[in-house]
Amino acid sequence: MDKGISIKGLVKDYPGHRKGERGQRVLNGLDLSIADNEFVCILGPSGCGKSTLLNTLSGLDNDYSGEVRFGGQPVGRNGKPPVKMGYLFQDPRLLPWLTAERNVDFVLENSDVPKSRWAEIKNHYFSLTGLEAFRDHYPHELSGGMAQRLSLVRALSIEPDVLFMDEPFSGLDELTARRMRVDLLDIWSRTGKTILFITHNSYEATFLADRVVVLSQGNIREEIPVEVPRPRHYDDPALFEISKQVSANFIAAAEEAERARLQPQAG
Amino acid sequence: MFVKVGSIIAAILAWFGLSFLFPETILPGPFQTAMVLADNFANGDVFQHLFATLWRVMGGLALAMAIGIPVGVLMGVNRFAEKTLDIWVMVALTVPSLCYAIFAFIWIGLNETAAIVAIGLTSAPSIAINLWEGVKNIDTRLFKMAKVFNASRWVIIRRVLFPQVLPYIMASLRFGLGIVWKITVLVELLGRPDGVGFELFYWYQLANMQQVLAWTLLFTIVMLFIELVILQNMERKLFSWRPKVKI
Repeated sequence: MDKGISIKGLVKDYPGHRKGERGQRVLNGLDLSIADNEFVCILGPSGCGKSTLLNTLSGLDNDYSGEVRFGGQPVGRNGKPPVKMGYLFQDPRLLPWLTAERNVDFVLENSDVPKSRWAEIKNHYFSLTGLEAFRDHYPHELSGGMAQRLSLVRALSIEPDVLFMDEPFSGLDELTARRMRVDLLDIWSRTGKTILFITHNSYEATFLADRVVVLSQGNIREEIPVEVPRPRHYDDPALFEISKQVSANFIAAAEEAERARLQPQAG
Repeated sequence: MFVKVGSIIAAILAWFGLSFLFPETILPGPFQTAMVLADNFANGDVFQHLFATLWRVMGGLALAMAIGIPVGVLMGVNRFAEKTLDIWVMVALTVPSLCYAIFAFIWIGLNETAAIVAIGLTSAPSIAINLWEGVKNIDTRLFKMAKVFNASRWVIIRRVLFPQVLPYIMASLRFGLGIVWKITVLVELLGRPDGVGFELFYWYQLANMQQVLAWTLLFTIVMLFIELVILQNMERKLFSWRPKVKI
């Protein structure tokens, strides 16, 4: 089955908070297609519409105009994608009253994965992420890195076709984040998923992605393909070269955003 | 544990010492009070009165929770409900408990229903306020997580909202119990022919301080037992997932 995503003319406005206050256009006719099994990183300054993009794609917000299709199919009436979706938030967002394993069960219960396969799936991902010994621990007993790993297990357990990741490693220390990035690529190469990964970190984006998309003011500023063969090495100089280009674009986008904020709005 | 036992012994000793300074009709000592209590158990109808009171406490508490929890939760999650209801909760909180008791006995009659209604209505506002404050602390990010992973509205209410509200329900149960039993005694004094409140008032009219103290002591011990042994254990079991706080 095709699990690509195609986005056409996506527009999202936030209304002004007070009466008479002008609303803000966060996504401004965005066009983007993501191929089946492609790993795309979205990079951009705060307020460029990154999180809004994930909210609209995941169906959390379906008050937008434009067209979103998954594998050629339109989204359902409730705005939910017609394919299976996993999600990693910036924070682990675990249910604190459930053990690690029960947190995974919670999403399995709401999925179409048959119960006969739960044990096998859980064994697989718990051991893959090194959390085997922590299945009966409560979230507060896990370190930040372990909690985020658990939320990765949770997202993968439902065997999603597409995986949305909203700055999932930004709250972790560099060493843990680095290990998680390597693990993520490893899992992705084995299971095959379409991944949309949002980040503030240009090297992270370059290391992970097939293609880095830099957003600026609700639209695409630049698309930078990363044609470095996999498996990649974290300290590959070729990645550094591309990451410089990504970085330059990111900084330019941030400057544009700054200028737009200082400019008095016309009309 | 040692500290607790020590402080109880110290309090009894202080009571013992003070009782020498006053005549028996004003402050009987701990031994005399205990003797009277034992006498009551031996030849009186202690259990009848105690159970009558406990029944009213439970009934009143159940009614107070049945009104207070939905109102409090609604006010916590819905802005409109909060704006419309908050003034009325304040009004209901301000009306003295004696007034609820009088209204209930006059409008419903001198019966058990009236007693329980009076007790329930008096303590419902405090419980509503407790829940209202608590629900505001709910982590709404977890709802988003559940929604993304396809949980239905009902699943979200039952498995994501309810576990977060439960600690506040338990807290308001303990807190409500503390208010309810004080009101129950007052309601009994006013319009019931039995119960601890009735006994207290009866002995007060006869100026029998030994009996008044004996009944006070008995009831306090029973309520402390419910609070410290039953409710605290229940809470410990329910919330074992919480991190232990070490100070």
